[in-house]
Amino acid sequence: MADAIHTLSAAELGRRLAAGTLTSRALCEALIARYQAVNDKVGAFTHLDQADVLAQADASDARRKAGQGRGPLEGIPVAIKDNIAVKGQPLTCSSKMLATLVSPYDSHVAERLRAAGAILYGRLNMDEFAMGSSTENSAIRKTFNPWDLARIPGGSSGGSASALAAGLVPLSLGSDTGGSIRQPASHCGVVGLKPTYGLISRFGLVAFASSLDQIGPMARSIEDCELLLNALASADARDMTCFGPSDRALTPAGDAKKLRIGIPKGFLGKGVAPEVAAAVKAAVEFYRAQGCAISEVELPSADLAVPTYYVVATAEASSNLGRYDGVRYGHRSTSAGTPVEMMTASRSEGFGPEVKRRILLGTFVLSAGYADAYYVRALRARAKIRAEYLAALAGVDVLLTPTVPTPAFKVGEKASDPLLLYLEDIFTIPANLAGLPAISVPCGQSGHLPVGFHLVGAPLSEAKLLAAGRLFEAAHGFAHQQAAL
Amino acid sequence: MSTPPSDWEVVIGLEVHVQLHTRAKVFASSPWGFGKEPNEQVDPVVLGLPGTLPVVNREAVEKSILFGLVVGASVPEHCSWDRKNYFYPDNPKNYQLTQKDFPVVVGGQVEIELPGASRNVMGEHKFIRIHHAHLEEDVGKLSHSGSGSLVDYNRAGVPLLEIVTEPDLRSSAEAEAFLRSLVAMLTQAGVADCDMEKGQLRCDCNVSIRRRGAEKLGTRTETKNLNSISSVRDTVIYETARQIRELEAGRSITQETRGWNAELARGYVLRDKEDAHDYRYFPDPDIPTLKISRETVARLAKLVPENLYDRQRRYVDKLGLPYTAASVLVNDRALAEWFEAAVAAHPVNPSGIANLVANDLLRDLAASAGAAGAFDESAPAPVSLSSCPIKPAQLAGLVKLTDDGVISKQQAKEVFTEMFKSGQDAAAIVDAKGLRQNSDTGELEKIVQEVIADPAVAKSIAEYRAGNEKAINALKGPIMKRTQGKANPVLIDQLLRKFLA
Amino acid sequence: MTMAEGFDIDHLAKLARLSLTAEEKTLYSSQLNQILSHFQALADADLPATIDDARVVDEAALRSDEPGPVLGADAVTRIAPASRDGQISVPRVVDDES
Repeated sequence: MADAIHTLSAAELGRRLAAGTLTSRALCEALIARYQAVNDKVGAFTHLDQADVLAQADASDARRKAGQGRGPLEGIPVAIKDNIAVKGQPLTCSSKMLATLVSPYDSHVAERLRAAGAILYGRLNMDEFAMGSSTENSAIRKTFNPWDLARIPGGSSGGSASALAAGLVPLSLGSDTGGSIRQPASHCGVVGLKPTYGLISRFGLVAFASSLDQIGPMARSIEDCELLLNALASADARDMTCFGPSDRALTPAGDAKKLRIGIPKGFLGKGVAPEVAAAVKAAVEFYRAQGCAISEVELPSADLAVPTYYVVATAEASSNLGRYDGVRYGHRSTSAGTPVEMMTASRSEGFGPEVKRRILLGTFVLSAGYADAYYVRALRARAKIRAEYLAALAGVDVLLTPTVPTPAFKVGEKASDPLLLYLEDIFTIPANLAGLPAISVPCGQSGHLPVGFHLVGAPLSEAKLLAAGRLFEAAHGFAHQQAAL
Repeated sequence: MSTPPSDWEVVIGLEVHVQLHTRAKVFASSPWGFGKEPNEQVDPVVLGLPGTLPVVNREAVEKSILFGLVVGASVPEHCSWDRKNYFYPDNPKNYQLTQKDFPVVVGGQVEIELPGASRNVMGEHKFIRIHHAHLEEDVGKLSHSGSGSLVDYNRAGVPLLEIVTEPDLRSSAEAEAFLRSLVAMLTQAGVADCDMEKGQLRCDCNVSIRRRGAEKLGTRTETKNLNSISSVRDTVIYETARQIRELEAGRSITQETRGWNAELARGYVLRDKEDAHDYRYFPDPDIPTLKISRETVARLAKLVPENLYDRQRRYVDKLGLPYTAASVLVNDRALAEWFEAAVAAHPVNPSGIANLVANDLLRDLAASAGAAGAFDESAPAPVSLSSCPIKPAQLAGLVKLTDDGVISKQQAKEVFTEMFKSGQDAAAIVDAKGLRQNSDTGELEKIVQEVIADPAVAKSIAEYRAGNEKAINALKGPIMKRTQGKANPVLIDQLLRKFLA
Repeated sequence: MTMAEGFDIDHLAKLARLSLTAEEKTLYSSQLNQILSHFQALADADLPATIDDARVVDEAALRSDEPGPVLGADAVTRIAPASRDGQISVPRVVDDES
């Protein structure tokens, strides 16, 4: 039984824990053994405090024994992307700038997981400060795609996706600003959901782009994803952008076979690899065969999405990352001099190239004389894109596209061309700009590499997205899939 | 000198930063307040730890709205916050949350009173327009020590209301008067305590010069971080003189940021902060636009106290108080309300009550409190009336005894001192000390005649009869002595004149 | 390829408190120039005049004026790179005091 534990879903683990045929301790020991065997190969985790995990597991088992189990996540490990604060654990954001930072406080989601009895399990690798689409921008280590160790897992939540596909953990948290949950989910053959902006509190999520960032659940099945979503989504007065208690009711799913699916015009032609297009088209045909109405929708401003995103996101990032100056915490340069010199040296030593590029770009688009031409225009374009998506979603329930135009590329293949990487995000970015919920669901393969399709819904339509995913998953064999390692 | 030669006109605008009276900080829930050890009032949000977010303090917003109502400004339907980005060690996020485009208060005006020709004469009144007021966060405190600097973030995140005037001020006297009036309005409405020693009020002063009659404003300089009324006054005087000197020498004024050295009494140019002007303002994405309900505005409107100059006019015109007493009373709302309670108990002599309150009560309260350190060093520190040993009705009772002739005004001062010490009623003290004035005419007549007959006063009597009015006073002393000071002085005077006629 | 108008990498690096090597300046300038030219679509687009602010909150979203927990000076100085007497130390600020 111990060998198979790492292949089980969170839902199944929960059943066994509840039945008493498994303890959280045994579960964690099995996963730690797998970590010791496999993590060096895939590099998903940057940190795992094994003693702390086992202590949490023991506490969970004790609660359960005393009849005080807290629900379906009691005793189940959830791995956490290293930009989400857990008190007493590192909060490096995979950056040299924060390599020594141990968080003195819990994020809202950490509190929620503790309240659900879940085990907070390790720290996951990512692109530095969430900036990237391959996790190659981590200053700490490399992460690989379990399906092909010469390839990237996607990013920036590369560790979160890789850990799932490698059977290192049943559930993980990622964050998504332009596709950073969905794209690695697609590349690693797992499920990743970015919720409606404001559904999950950002308190404790290290900010990259405040108006775009969201924490989201990642798992190997829709059911597991939903378990995690339910634990995380709650009001939090510490985040003014998070919906209050009376504003967060999800639209009911309804009958998934009656979903109206919109295919944005021209999206399957945008540099999409043939095998990706084929897998996604097959998914469309599946839904059609189930009785879903399929129609084409127009999104005329689609070409504006990538430039709009990169102006808004880098602008906010340049400001959010201003606080990293070596004064109060984090890396401080030993080359002294004036405070200006100290701050400049600390930042220059602490940040990697992609972070510097984005800070420079963001500073430019906000700078005197250029803010109107870039930043203000981008906000107006964003409003237009959001209006077009909402209009399209008034006539259909979900929009369906590929998640990524091409499957996982080889490590180093696109490292010298940032623009190429930015264009990877073409399908995922609009959901962030418009604040809409979106999910990536595994739907096939390109050779041996996973392919995912992407659904976007109206605000608070997570239940519909999950229902659509469940319908597809039930008829296909992609749920619970793991790479053989 | 406080006015330029007649062909030059000085134009002054002020930006006043006021720490609002709240318990927690403006975007974080950490407490704040004077006197704590360094970095004891810091939480993750204040420190700008990764992942932290601002949440706006309702009380800070309401105090800001209340200020707006006090100055008759318009309170907009919505307001929002922006980021002002610049790097400095006392700025935890290296951006300051402020309000650039949609502040919480727009417009308004402050009535000011200039000094009169003499202390007893009310000076000219004028209205200074407020451009706007916005709610922002304060930064930490830097101190310098040897080869390094130290940062204490206790002050970081304290709510600041920045009040910006139109360039309506035309002299150092007006600038002073404006600040006095503003401080009175802020403290009387409970918006802020304005305690200068605790750094709760700081001022930036914009000064420019132009030829009298010109429409266009001259180039202005900004002198920052003035923390007393006298330094604002002195800065205006200094900067006016300096700019006039420059212009008369044919040079032009450089737009620059300056500081004021109070010890040396001169201004100086602040090192030009490179990029100081590119703050890359943009709307803060963590704080949504705030809708301000009209119900909230209506509720806060009820908390607006009577404007101090309206009250002063009421005291002078309706209660007949002399200007000096009225102006002292209206400067302190609690004192004014205390005074009015005393008048309510004895309405026929408001001036008599005002005299005791504005002089004796204030003096004894200040002495017992020992407080100093207001932003305005020349005004008495606002006193705490909550622990005043005397109640308004008791003071009214004392004045009534005097008005009824039971005791003299001189005796009233003694009784007052005793009341302040013991908290007893005036009547009880008068009886205990046996102070009731001797108004028994018969007995007094006898004493007056005895004194008149004393050869010691013969010379004075002769002088009085010769036409020296004041000589009669020499007889009053002995009479008072014979009556243990209890004789009614008015009666004594009458009897003396009668018998000496 | 021409520089995107107004993109002065030295000025921006100073504003952003970053120091770049000569190679970095060349590399980033060229990469960012390429990215900016891709933004031409944004410059040419026909856009609505108003910015849609999707989110407005009312006073219920404001926090009550209750003081909350603090980190404590020990915790603050513990995570700080350098401190003295409870304060965070930095190099001498050569500022404006005359």
